[in-house]
Amino acid sequence: MTRTEWKQIGKGLAFCSPWLIGFMVFTLIPVVLSLYYSVCDYSLLQPPAYIGGANYHELLDDPIFRKSLTNTLLYAIIALPAGLMVSLGLALLLNVKVAGQTFYRTVIFLPSLVPTVASAMLWMWLFNAKLGLINTVLDWLPFRLLIAGINAILGLVHLPQIETPIGWLTNPAWALPALAFMSFWGVGHTVVIYLAGLQDVPSELLESAEIDGAGMTRRLWHVTLPMLSPVIFFNLIMAIIGTLQVFAIPYIMTGGGPARATYFFTMYLYDNAFRYLKMGYASAMAWIQLLIILALTAIAFWSSRKWVYYQGK
Amino acid sequence: MHYIRTTILTLLGLTALAVMAFGGRSVESHKGQVVVTYWEKWTGKEAEQMQQIVNDFNQSVGQQKGIYVQYLSMSSVDQKTLVATAAGVPPDIAGLWNSQVAQFATINAVEPLDDLAAAHGITASYYKPVYWEGCRFNGHLWALISTPATIALHYNKRLMLERADSLRKAGLDPNRPPRTLDELDRYAQALDMVEKTPNGQKRIKSAGYLPMEPSWMLTYIPYWFGNKLFDEKTQKLTLTDPDIVRAFEWVKSYSVRLGKDSMTEFTNGFGQFASPQNPFLVGNVVMTLQGPWTANYVEDLKPSMNRWKFPKEKEKGMSVEERRKNYEWGAAPFPSAVPGLTDVSYASFDTLMIPRGAKHKQEAFEFIAYVNRQDVMEKLNSLHCKNSPLSQVSEQFIRNHPNPYISVFEELARSKNARGVPPMPIWPEVADELGVVAQRVYLLQAEPKEALQDAQNRLQEKYETFLERQRLRAKS
Repeated sequence: MTRTEWKQIGKGLAFCSPWLIGFMVFTLIPVVLSLYYSVCDYSLLQPPAYIGGANYHELLDDPIFRKSLTNTLLYAIIALPAGLMVSLGLALLLNVKVAGQTFYRTVIFLPSLVPTVASAMLWMWLFNAKLGLINTVLDWLPFRLLIAGINAILGLVHLPQIETPIGWLTNPAWALPALAFMSFWGVGHTVVIYLAGLQDVPSELLESAEIDGAGMTRRLWHVTLPMLSPVIFFNLIMAIIGTLQVFAIPYIMTGGGPARATYFFTMYLYDNAFRYLKMGYASAMAWIQLLIILALTAIAFWSSRKWVYYQGK
Repeated sequence: MHYIRTTILTLLGLTALAVMAFGGRSVESHKGQVVVTYWEKWTGKEAEQMQQIVNDFNQSVGQQKGIYVQYLSMSSVDQKTLVATAAGVPPDIAGLWNSQVAQFATINAVEPLDDLAAAHGITASYYKPVYWEGCRFNGHLWALISTPATIALHYNKRLMLERADSLRKAGLDPNRPPRTLDELDRYAQALDMVEKTPNGQKRIKSAGYLPMEPSWMLTYIPYWFGNKLFDEKTQKLTLTDPDIVRAFEWVKSYSVRLGKDSMTEFTNGFGQFASPQNPFLVGNVVMTLQGPWTANYVEDLKPSMNRWKFPKEKEKGMSVEERRKNYEWGAAPFPSAVPGLTDVSYASFDTLMIPRGAKHKQEAFEFIAYVNRQDVMEKLNSLHCKNSPLSQVSEQFIRNHPNPYISVFEELARSKNARGVPPMPIWPEVADELGVVAQRVYLLQAEPKEALQDAQNRLQEKYETFLERQRLRAKS
C-alpha cells in the first residue's frame, strides 16, 4: 500500500473514530464482558467469581425461567404473524388511491408516536374490565349475541366458556392475548415500511397481469406479495427481535401478573440483574436470549431462499 | 458546498459552547463547605417535604459545620446508587428501602455505621427495637431511618353505620372495629353488598374486606398467624409451616366465599392506591390494611373523609379523641389469628445509607444524625404522615400529627409482635415469589400447601446456593 493510501485509511479511521470508540466502549466490550460474567457469580459490587457453567445449569432447572420463556414464545407466536398481517393489510388499504389517503396514513401512523408509558396507561383504561371501553362495546347487543354464539360452540366441544365482562389484564387466560392484541397499536412504523415497498412494485408487471386477465387477488398473490417479499422478510426479522425482547409495556401494565401469566423473558432478566443483583445469572439469560433470536433469525434466512424474491436477480 | 460546511461547523461550535456554558456541573459552588450528595427515592410532595428538612439542615447545622447537602430526588434510586457505587462515584447518602439492608450489606455496597452512630450517641436504646434490628445485619449497623411505618386495619365508620342493621343482625357492634380474625371475617361478610344479575350471576357492589386489597401486604399476612417466614437460627424459610399454610387458606377462603369470578370482576374496576379511585376512598371496600400515610392520601384525594362532622379549622386545640370523631375512617390493630397474639404489625421503613466509597462519610453522617434528632424526625414524619422510629416520642407529635390515629401506629411499632422483613439477603426475590403464591391462591389456581411447597423448594435451594457462593468468596 502506498503512503497516500495509508494516509487515507488513517483519515477514514479518524473520521469513524467517534463511532468506533462508542461501539467498542458501549457495545463490544460490554457484550464480551457479559459472556465472561455469565460464567461467574457476579453482583456488580463484588468481583466476579468464576463458577463455570453453573448459571446455565441452574437456568435449566429454574421453573420461572421456563415459564418466562414459554410466555415470550407464546406472545411471539400470537403477536408476530398477526402483527405482520395486520400491518400488511393496512398498508395495502392505505395504498389504494382514495380521497383523504394522506389523512388515513397519518391516523394509522399516529399511535406509533405516542410514548410507551402513555400508551400503556391508555390501554390499561381501555382494558379495564368494569369501566373500559372495550368491555363497554362488547356489552352491546350484537357483541353479546356473538359471544353467546361462540360460547354455544365452545360448549358443544366441551371447552371453557368466555366469561363476561372479560378481565383482560386480571384473568391469567386473557392477559397475554390482550398484550399481544395491544401490540397492533404500534404497527405504524411497519405500515410505513410496507407502503414504501409497495411503491416499488413494478407497475408494468401489475399491468401485464391485468391484461392477462388476473383479478385483484391473483395480482396480489402472484405479483405484489412476491415483489414485496424482501420488505416482508425485513419486517419479519425485526418482529422476531422485537417480540422476543418485549419488556416495557407488560412491565408497566401488568408487572408480569396475574400469577406470572405475562412474565416475559426480559422481565425475569431485568429482575435478576437489578432487583436480585444476580448479574452473572442475568448475563447467562441474555446469552440464551441472543442464541434463541439468532437461531430463529437463521431459520428465517434459510427459509427466505424459498419465498423472498429480489428484483435484480 | 463551502457555505454548507461553514454552517455545519458553526452549528457544531455553538453546540459545544452551549454545552460548556449551560451543561452539567459536578457540584454547586459552596465555598469552604463540604458538599454532601444525597439521592432519594421520593417524588412530588414527599420529595418537597424532605427538601424542607435538607434546607433546615443547610441553614443550621450545615452552616455551623461547613456542610452543604445537595438533595436529588430520582426514580429507581437503588439501581442508580448501585451502578454509581460500582463505578466509584456513589452519592454520599442514599435513601433506600428496608428490604435492601441485608441485600446491600452482603454485597458490600454500603458502609457499616456502628462507629459513626455510637459517636453521635445513637444506640439501640434510642430506637424502637423493631426498627433498630431492621437496620442491622450480621452484627453490624448498615442504615438509619428516615421515615418508618407500621400497618393497621382501617375501617370506614360511615359505611359501618350505614350497614349497622346487617352488622347487628350478625351480632356485631357497628361502632367498633373487629378484634379477632374470626370477628373480622364476620364483619366482612355482614358488610358485603352483593346482588344477583338477571342471568343469576353474583355481582359484588361493595366488599366488607378483601385480603388482596392492597395486594402488596399479602406477603406479610403470615405474621398475623404467628409465623416469621424465616428461621434465622437454621437459615431456613418456613413457608410450609402450618401457620403459613393456614394464612394462605384464609386468603383463599375469601375467593371461595365471594366466588373467584365475581371477586375478580369486582376488583378489576379498582383504581390505583394513589388515585381518587382508591377502593377504600370510594367505598368499594369497607376495611383495608394500610399504613399511617392514609390520612395524607385522604386529605389529598377525598378531603371530605377527613371532615366528617365539622370543618378542619375547628380541630385546633381539640384532643386527639375529639379530633378522631371528625374522620369518616378509623384505624386499629389488624386482628391476629392466634389467641393472645396482640398488636401484630409489619414494620417497614425508608433508610438512609452511606454507599461504599462515599467521599464524605463523616459529613454524610452529620446529616443522617440530624435527621435522627427527635425534633427533626418528628417534623419529617408529621409531614410524611408516619410514626417515629425513635423510642422517645413527644406528646406534641401525637397531638398535632395529621393522622389522629398515629398513637395506634406508635403502639404497634413498640409491640414485641411488630416484625420487619426477614433478615436475608435474597428477601426481594422471596417477597416477589410470595406475592405470586398469593395470586395463585386467590385466583384458585393452586392449593395453598402446593403453591407454598413449590416456593419453599425453589427459594430454599436458591438461598443455599447463594450462601455457598458467599462462603466460597470469603475463603478465596
